Amino acid sequence: MEKFIIEPTANSPRIVLDPEKGTFEFSGESRPENVRKFYLPVLEWLEAYTGSLEALQDDQRKFDLQCQFNFEYFNSTSAKYILDIFKSLNAINALGVGLDIKWLYEEDDEDMLEVGQEMSRMSKLSFEYIIS
Amino acid sequence: MKNAEVIIEFEGSISFDIMERLLSRLKAARQFNELRKPVRKRVYGTVVESIDNIFKYAVPEETVVVDMQRPPLVKVSEKEGKFIVTAGNLVKNSQIDDLRRKLNRVNDMDDEALKSLYEQVINKEATDEDRGAGLGLITMALRTDEKICYFFDPAGPGYTYFTMHITIKE
Repeated sequence: MEKFIIEPTANSPRIVLDPEKGTFEFSGESRPENVRKFYLPVLEWLEAYTGSLEALQDDQRKFDLQCQFNFEYFNSTSAKYILDIFKSLNAINALGVGLDIKWLYEEDDEDMLEVGQEMSRMSKLSFEYIIS
Repeated sequence: MKNAEVIIEFEGSISFDIMERLLSRLKAARQFNELRKPVRKRVYGTVVESIDNIFKYAVPEETVVVDMQRPPLVKVSEKEGKFIVTAGNLVKNSQIDDLRRKLNRVNDMDDEALKSLYEQVINKEATDEDRGAGLGLITMALRTDEKICYFFDPAGPGYTYFTMHITIKE
């Protein structure tokens, strides 16, 4: 699978999904004008990636993906799509791939920590919480 | 009692570009920068959600006869150390019941109930019709310790001006 890269703008995050390195990174602010249009390609890429993993033998799926979520801010519509990303990660995890999910938040930003805890609970994935 | 000090205020048609400019003005405001970071983010997030609500619910100006037009309003003010986000826009009378129902629902909930509603709504499949699904209001309700204060002022046959004030939690 080709690497997936979206460069950041003032209202949309940087996204780098690198299957070769095994790293998925999300950072910045997320309140794009059309949230659905922005996140749909990300979700489609994840779906195709999951499909490519399904085609592998079980022992070829024994690796860990390093996932880093370092959002400065996201609006409520983006939250829905971010949760969909976690649901896609859950499907990848179900195939035997390990996930190392880091949720970064700024010191004192209890709201960002709390929303990470909610995302973790709703997606049934464990997160490591790190002060950025 | 001290009068509220206006930090940013905009009255007029709101586009995505205008939202960008308003957010830049907010970020540059001294009073905003003096806030504790989490409070600053709550103010910022509430302005974003308020404008999203205007995009979602406001009656397009071109569909309203000129003498009944009243442009959307977005304001951030400070009163006695508290930050208040005000948003206003014209709605059709037929939207009032739904808005009132959504607002009363979140106003009657404590944080635990709001989080449970948030989970229910975020997991619902979004349709284009229902793109925000009410998540914005729930998010705003979680950013205040007070009730979301709202008014409906008659604005001519068939139309009402809807205003809400959200006092940000510290």
